[in-house]
Amino acid sequence: MDYVQTLIMAFISVVLVNNLVLTKFLGICPYLGVSGRLDMAFGMGMAVTFVVTLAGTLTWLIDHLILMNPALEAYGLDVTRYVCFILVIAGAVQLVEMYLRKFFPTLYESFGIFLPLITTNCAILGLCLFLNLWDIHNFAQAVVLSFGAGIGFTIAICIMAGIRENLNMADVPKCLRGAPITLITAGLLTLAFMGFAGMIK
Amino acid sequence: MAEPNQGNLGNTFIAGLWRENPVFRLLLGMCPTLAVTGAVKPALTMSICVMFVLTCSNIVVSLMRNLLKPHLRILMFTLTIATFVTIADLAVKAFAPEMSTTLGPYIPLIIVNCIIIGRAEACASKNNLITSITDALGMSLGFTIALCILASVRELLAAGTIFDIAVMPDKFVPLAAMSMPVGAFITLGLILGLINAITKKRA
Amino acid sequence: MRSVKHFIEQSWLLIAAAFCFGLLLAMTNAALKDKIEQNQIDALNNMMRGLMSEATNFEKVIDQAEIAGYKTDIYKASDNGGQIIGFAFVGTGAGFADKIKLIIAVDGTCDKFLGFDVLSSNETPLFGDRIKEDWFRAQFVGAPAGALELIKSGDTKKIDNKIVAITGATVSSQATVKIFNDHIEELKSILKEKGLID
Repeated sequence: MDYVQTLIMAFISVVLVNNLVLTKFLGICPYLGVSGRLDMAFGMGMAVTFVVTLAGTLTWLIDHLILMNPALEAYGLDVTRYVCFILVIAGAVQLVEMYLRKFFPTLYESFGIFLPLITTNCAILGLCLFLNLWDIHNFAQAVVLSFGAGIGFTIAICIMAGIRENLNMADVPKCLRGAPITLITAGLLTLAFMGFAGMIK
Repeated sequence: MAEPNQGNLGNTFIAGLWRENPVFRLLLGMCPTLAVTGAVKPALTMSICVMFVLTCSNIVVSLMRNLLKPHLRILMFTLTIATFVTIADLAVKAFAPEMSTTLGPYIPLIIVNCIIIGRAEACASKNNLITSITDALGMSLGFTIALCILASVRELLAAGTIFDIAVMPDKFVPLAAMSMPVGAFITLGLILGLINAITKKRA
Repeated sequence: MRSVKHFIEQSWLLIAAAFCFGLLLAMTNAALKDKIEQNQIDALNNMMRGLMSEATNFEKVIDQAEIAGYKTDIYKASDNGGQIIGFAFVGTGAGFADKIKLIIAVDGTCDKFLGFDVLSSNETPLFGDRIKEDWFRAQFVGAPAGALELIKSGDTKKIDNKIVAITGATVSSQATVKIFNDHIEELKSILKEKGLID
């Protein structure tokens, strides 16, 4: 029971308290660049969730089975950590792309340009690095955190898209239109998410 | 051949500073821009790393631009960038250990900084070595300037210091919010708004 | 056969580049590795020296001991005459928003704490960050090495097992006290087991 509780806590923590977008500034580019369309944002979020779960799990395995393996420690393999991580992510994205194109062509069409762009989404590499930084020694926890990070990203990007939909109708000062008002909105959102901090002890 | 080329080089260099400033104009590389600008020192360290990585990766990509296969291109870019970022990370750990703890995962995150992969794709894979280097220097200088402006404003308001030197009067009450994420977003938003206002007036 | 040739044609650059870059990384690592390790040791030593100013020698006595679910090395600090000043270890726990890592020192007999320093924390600046403040840290110096108790208000100068919380950073204060409480008994039994204390 304790074990399940830890996992649930980890999930809530990474979705709300340590939301990668709003507290760690990861994945800001798609977050700010997202058009004001909720369905597109949701699609993007789902694609990221899928890739980040896959990449997070794989990089955690590589990190623990190869790079931090005590038997191989003498070779100093951990210096290649970043190279390994980014190659795994790029590979995972390509795999997902090929798989979707072959088996779910409609889904592939709807993701469109998003898929290849996911490689350079900081949220994914960021999460892989944070798994390493947070000293996660437990496989299940690594998977849950990866999945949670994706969900957190989806929530953040959907909220943003929803706000932007309404922002189109607002009377914003001329010089603040476009990127500036988006940034200010994002700032207020982070303020709101700060309320979740301290929820998990 | 030499003369127009030089003019172009100058243009390429200047473009990165203002007209195509990566942060203020193209909105690229937002993640480090927002995350490390709580104070000037980490911002400057970050800029130097980005300058090193961007220049090196532009050189390598430019040298092998004729050998690139289209579908392996992105993989090649990320591999090159990741290598130089690791070198930069090791160098920071060796020569500025306290900065390495402050910046934490944001140094390896240079790998996915859109500026670097964007320049590799848009400039270095199409142009010769010298143009690529000039472009890298101009862009990274533009990035540095943007980061320093943002970091100065935030550090001034959050702690009353610039570069750890106190500049505000004793009575100044620090605005804690400025060093938190919310400060980053709002400061950048207002700076962008200001830039928009200035350029609109001129036009 | 054709497919092998095709494969090499497509990817020779990638393979060659990976090889060159690997070499480059290995060289950089070889050149800088010692300095990086030295930096880490220096940083740790500096912190331990800040907690135990009389100590001159720091020696790792237990490698990767598991305390309260986290792994830490335990260091023994002694002065020039070989007299044991105390022990230091890294205590980890969940803070306000993220993990907090503290370096905690106890005296040579495990009767009193000698204080703590913050190794890494991602706490909100100017709120949770305040556990680094001197007056808060001073409350732990000389406190009895047993269960500590957090109180809302009281005399911060009086050294006992009551720690006055930081106003506005209660969660981080609680986390700090909890790290102390979670670690001390296990530390004592580990040190006893190794014969380092009575």
